[in-house]
Parts: sequence; structure tokens; C-alpha cells
Amino acid sequence: MKNDFKDGFMANLPIGISVFTYGSVLGVLSSQKGVELFELVLMNIFIFAGSSQFVLVQMWDNTLDIIAMITAALLINLRYFLVGASLNPLFKQSSKKEKLKYMHFATDESWAITMQRLKTQEISPKFLLGGGVCIFATWFIGTVLGYNLGEFISNPKIFGLDFAFVAIFFALALSMYKGSSDILPWIITSLIAIISSYYIEGNFYIVIAAILGSYSAVILHKRKSHE
Amino acid sequence: MNSLDLNALLIIFIVALGTYSLRVSGLLLSSKFVKEEGDLKLFLDYLPSTLLLALVVPSILKEGVIGLIAAFLIFLCMYKTKSILLSLIVGVFTIAIYRNFFI
Repeated sequence: MKNDFKDGFMANLPIGISVFTYGSVLGVLSSQKGVELFELVLMNIFIFAGSSQFVLVQMWDNTLDIIAMITAALLINLRYFLVGASLNPLFKQSSKKEKLKYMHFATDESWAITMQRLKTQEISPKFLLGGGVCIFATWFIGTVLGYNLGEFISNPKIFGLDFAFVAIFFALALSMYKGSSDILPWIITSLIAIISSYYIEGNFYIVIAAILGSYSAVILHKRKSHE
Repeated sequence: MNSLDLNALLIIFIVALGTYSLRVSGLLLSSKFVKEEGDLKLFLDYLPSTLLLALVVPSILKEGVIGLIAAFLIFLCMYKTKSILLSLIVGVFTIAIYRNFFI
């Protein structure tokens, strides 16, 4: 038996370096905003979703706006519903218990790398778990180091590290290309994302563009098979 | 500030519970309703790529022209080598060079 856990862990290491640096930025921000270390640690362990943690820390204040903070964070994480839905093929043989255990480790990074690997290789949910643990560890260490050491990576933008997420997610999307029938739905998705990100505040545009884009693929496919 | 802030704990608790519920319910609902063939299957097949594109395309444009150049180089690199790691390096390197030497 091949070791899916280790494979998943190793496959996530390159993006883990970016996750580490961004974790350290969140750590620095958290200490400036007066977030307690144990609160940061609780978020890391139980929320474990980078961009929503950034938003929570940014909204952190002497008096916390409970409703606004919860709404903003959950709107950003709404896409995890779609992430979960798309992982169905990976968990085909799994028990419900296994699903409940592993899904907490589905992050943008571990999910994207799992979906890409799933196209070429038979893998078990352990691959997702291994990747998730890798991201969990790099994120955790990054945030705590950033919190304690202050600005030891004072300006990650100089190294283009903020673009690492964009670059890898774009490359991963391209690697999922199956044939020319993908082109039009992808263009539609991109256009909707551009337009809706312009008009809608926050990150809700991601969910809208993904749903409409995938739906356009269904419609286009139907039209083609009617011809 | 009061170190044991109950409101903070409440927020963390509800966001954690909500996020976990989103992760799990997406998976559980899809395994219940998705058949081997059909519209829903096709829809879900497209979700990974559309979700990723929706995440990155606005960010690429926000970088301006250099973002588009970096995206094009990533496209070329993926087309030629199919290596995600190499494409990642090409993209980040392009942005880093621009920010260090051209701004």
C-alpha cells in the first residue's frame, strides 16, 4: 500500500511555505490588534480557514461587533460548502465517520492539490488529510512565530509572496483542463467573477461566479447534445 | 483589555462551528443526491476549476498589467511543462522582479 498521508503532506509543502509566511503576517497583525495568543491558537485549531481569520482579526476591536464578524467570516467560508460537494468522488468508499473526521482538514490549498491529483491517480482521503495536516502545521507555526517575533518578515509583498496563492491556484485550475468544452465555461466564470467582484463587497463573488460558471457548463453541454 | 473576553470566544466558537458545518454538509449532501451521470454530476465536475478561477481572476486583474503578464507566463509554463511548482515560481518571480526594480 502506498502512503497517501505522506504523499499528501509532501505535495502540499511548496504551497506550505507561502502559507507559513502569510500565517506570520496574521500573527503580527493579531498582536498589534490586541488578540490574545490563546484566541489566535483557538482560531487556528477550530476555524482553520485563513482568509476568514484575516477578516476576523481585521475587525478585532475593543468592543467586538459579534453579528458583523460572524457574518463576514461565514460568508467568506461559504465556498467550503462547494469544496465539500466537489470532494464527493474522493470519499466514495468512505464511512460517514471518516468524512466527519477528515473534512476539517479541507482548506483551499489541500483541497486544490487533492482535486488535481485525483485526476491522474487513485488516492484515498488520507491524501487530503496529509495535505491538510501539512497546511495546518505551517499555518500554525507561522502565526505563532509572527505573533511572538513581531515583524520578522516585515514585507512579504517585496518577495511577491502574496501572489504565490494566485499563481498556484491559477496553475491548478489550468491543470484541470480536459478539452475545448472547458474553454467557454471558464471564460464565463472569469467574466462573472470580474464583474461581481466589482459590485459585491467582500468575497461572496467567489461563490456566485463558481455556481453560475459551473451551471453554464451544464447548459452548454445540454445544448451540444441536442444538436 | 480583559484577557478572557467572552464575546471573542463566542465569535470564534460560532465561526468554527459554522465553517465545519459548511465543510461537512457540502460533502454529505452531494453524496446523497449525486448520481453517476447527470446534470448535478457535471455541475460538480466543473466546480473545482470554476471555484479556483473565481478566486484568482479578480486578483490577477488587481495586480494590473504585470498581473496579466505573470498569468500569461504561468499559462505558457503550464502548457509547456505541466509543472505546477515551476509555474508557481515563474509567477512569483515575475511579480517580485517587477516590485523590486520597476516600482
